[in-house]
Amino acid sequence: MIDRLAAALTRARADYTEIRVERLWSSSVTFRGRRLESATVSEDQGGFVRVLNRAHGWGMASFTSLDQLERMVARANELSRAVRLERAVELAPVAPQRAEAILDLDGDVRGVPLAEKKRLVESYNGAMLGVSGSIVDTLAAYRDEVNEYWYVNSEGAALHELRPEVVLSGTATARRDGTIEKGLESIGLRRGWNAVQDRTADFRRVAERAVQLLDAPRVKGGTYPVILDSELAGVFAHEAIGHLSEADFVYANPQMREMMVLGRRFGKPVLTVGDDGAAPGLRGTLPFDDEGTPTRNTVLIKEGVLVGRLHSRETAAAMGEQPTGNARAISFRHAPIVRMTNTYIANGRGTFEDLIQDLKLGVYACGAFGGQTLLENFSFTAAYGHMIRDGHVAEMVKDVVLAGNLFQTLDRIDHIAGDFQWNQMGGGCGKGGQAPLPVTEGAPHVRIEAALIGGDVSAVT
Amino acid sequence: MIEALLDLARRRVAGGEEGDGGGADALWRRAERTSVAFEWGRLKSAGATEETGINLRVRHRGRVGVAGMTGIVGDDAGTRQAAPLLDRAVASAELGEELELAFPSRAPLPRVPTFFDRAADASLDQLIQLGQGVLERLTREGCQVNVAIEREVSETRVANAAGAEGAYRATAVGVTADVWRIAGDDVLTVGDEITGADLPAQRELDGLVQSITARLGFALAIAAPPEGALPVVFTPAGLSAVLLPITQGLSGKAVLQGISPLGKKVGERVFDERFALTDDPLVPGRAASRPLDDECVPSRVTSLVERGVVRRFVYDLETAARARTASTGHGQRGIFGKPVPAYTNLILGETGNGKRERSPQFGGGLLGDIKDGLVVDELIGVGQGNVIGGAFSHPVALAYRVERGEITGRVKDAAVAGNVYELLGRIAGFGNDARWSGTRFAPSLLLEGVSVARR
Repeated sequence: MIDRLAAALTRARADYTEIRVERLWSSSVTFRGRRLESATVSEDQGGFVRVLNRAHGWGMASFTSLDQLERMVARANELSRAVRLERAVELAPVAPQRAEAILDLDGDVRGVPLAEKKRLVESYNGAMLGVSGSIVDTLAAYRDEVNEYWYVNSEGAALHELRPEVVLSGTATARRDGTIEKGLESIGLRRGWNAVQDRTADFRRVAERAVQLLDAPRVKGGTYPVILDSELAGVFAHEAIGHLSEADFVYANPQMREMMVLGRRFGKPVLTVGDDGAAPGLRGTLPFDDEGTPTRNTVLIKEGVLVGRLHSRETAAAMGEQPTGNARAISFRHAPIVRMTNTYIANGRGTFEDLIQDLKLGVYACGAFGGQTLLENFSFTAAYGHMIRDGHVAEMVKDVVLAGNLFQTLDRIDHIAGDFQWNQMGGGCGKGGQAPLPVTEGAPHVRIEAALIGGDVSAVT
Repeated sequence: MIEALLDLARRRVAGGEEGDGGGADALWRRAERTSVAFEWGRLKSAGATEETGINLRVRHRGRVGVAGMTGIVGDDAGTRQAAPLLDRAVASAELGEELELAFPSRAPLPRVPTFFDRAADASLDQLIQLGQGVLERLTREGCQVNVAIEREVSETRVANAAGAEGAYRATAVGVTADVWRIAGDDVLTVGDEITGADLPAQRELDGLVQSITARLGFALAIAAPPEGALPVVFTPAGLSAVLLPITQGLSGKAVLQGISPLGKKVGERVFDERFALTDDPLVPGRAASRPLDDECVPSRVTSLVERGVVRRFVYDLETAARARTASTGHGQRGIFGKPVPAYTNLILGETGNGKRERSPQFGGGLLGDIKDGLVVDELIGVGQGNVIGGAFSHPVALAYRVERGEITGRVKDAAVAGNVYELLGRIAGFGNDARWSGTRFAPSLLLEGVSVARR
């Protein structure tokens, strides 16, 4: 394949050409309630060509029929030439990489019969259904993938990779009369079949939580000291800091550059945040990004001060900084754009108890249903929460939604524990119509002095 | 070409003891997209996408399985590539559940215009000029503008082994624009989009520019957020959080799973008696319109809620079979995976006032009676959490304060919350500004007693 792509490159007429080809083998098994929803094996393949000419913009072409490769290279060149630019697009230099990277398949999913996958998911689904008669609906979903990936560019890069992935998720819905509650957990790993065994207890916990939430009151809306558990703190790092650090928002916008100027203080000295695409064994980890740049650890906020950001080759050149290996595409159907990999809040000191012992009233927000950022504003929904009363974890509460202004909230992080962990959730990140991108988040327990919690807002008015 | 695949399937799938357990259907779709992107005020890229795929479903010995593929070489899915696809579908069926899935027989299809030559024939330069025009009209001091144009030309063929079939070509054009203004740490973004099956008319482009300009103008001043249980106008775009629990609850799938609050409410008045919700796949010129669904069921209009009374839910073939009812023609399938029930064009209307004149004015004429309240145009985090129960709580992305009938500025750092089943039980006002937002046609709604919190 590499030779075929290299041959297509020699016929390319543009100043810069890159070609990505992917061949995906995947299977999935989904149980819904007591029924198998589907068990399928899929094969998908296609390519993406991106071309740049001096004084012209990007021309891009994606396709699902590889016999069209040469025509699509020519088409991308035509598209580039139709885009006339006054200021040329520059790419920051990256030494062309040639590599063969076969990641650890950890039990190659292609060799496991679909019937065996069905049995495993059925048992996990049964574990949820068995928890209580109030569980009215479940969703147990398994998906695996092996992606054979090729990348070449006209500067001499040539990469061949085999990338595995498995995602397992459980959702349980409990109902009593008009009250409907949901428990949800997922894992996503760049591993194989061995990694999804022995998860029964996790699925049972999902259903138990949905049942517990039936009796939990809605949290009273208002401003509280809030402790984020590791999972939600990781989502916070991703939503609130990660997205704003993506240089494609910043590079062409003078006001935004001013707002995100390196050296600006964003938080107290306890706060260090980064993104590490090279961290071993994580779902957001790959040796190279989709421009062939090696991945690496990029510190974004160091001891409260903005020190770095995430780049593609284009944004790095525009800002006079180094590429960071963060140009990623979810598949051959899309162009690489600046994305996160494994985003983290670095370890602090002390324990969870140290964070709550001096709080008379607060909220312990746990787990993540999701999050969204609109640059300076963000919102994330905890899976559940507990009130903190007189220094102790008290009753469970539901509908815990954190809404905040990024700048204010970052500055209010006043204590970070020393219990860091990575959370390899399923799902993924969405941006620019590309979702879900495999990412990982990690953090210790984090305390925010004061944050707005939505919920039963009328209760406080 | 899918005929050859279905022929092969007919010979392969077995009916089981009763002889009625077999069958197959397939969808073939080819789409070509052309896109043009203006990023931060300048033309940046042009792209083309070509995608062809087949989705095959079989019923084999009474059990249902699916398989999909891309990478089709030429037109030849009938022979070399068809056999392994069929093998995978049969393997999927062997593990599948028993299901009395009845594939529809051949039926006349309604006529709906889905293909517009002007859209299909537009050159790359024409698309660039279209974007350039929008960009120039939105450019202003201190702001950055993004504009994207996308045009899709597609061809769909769907058929089953029972002899039903349909084929149509379709075009779709989307124009999206957003204006960014950053002042210190205040980030303001105001956007809008036009979607349709044809190239947008000048009047629609004018509407896009006016909508963004007006909302940007109101947003420049900042107003302190109010607090309490207040009247709130949800604009056609801002209605998403309010309507999402309802559309989830009206899905036959949610009803079947026993998680829809509307499941046992057919025939009951649940909403304000003026509230009507209809799914209409036959609206001319809309990108979601089509003569038949992806399972060979002819398109027809489905009344979901009429005069506040729940009428029916949407079903695809499988959920209909399980619920012992008929498909409403809402089967939607991609290349991979099995069909799912999905809406086409959702029309929210005021019963008895369907043909009210449209007004481009922001707020739809509903602001006059508001002493102190909000206009919500965009919320953050819609779709997160336990949506179907009806409770929502979201910070505002773009909202305005209304005092004594006038907009006094943009509200930041506020959140709105409520339960849609309580709020839609009595609607204080329907706006005269009904418009399309993606696949939804709705006016602004004035709802009372929405919780507004600030920090």
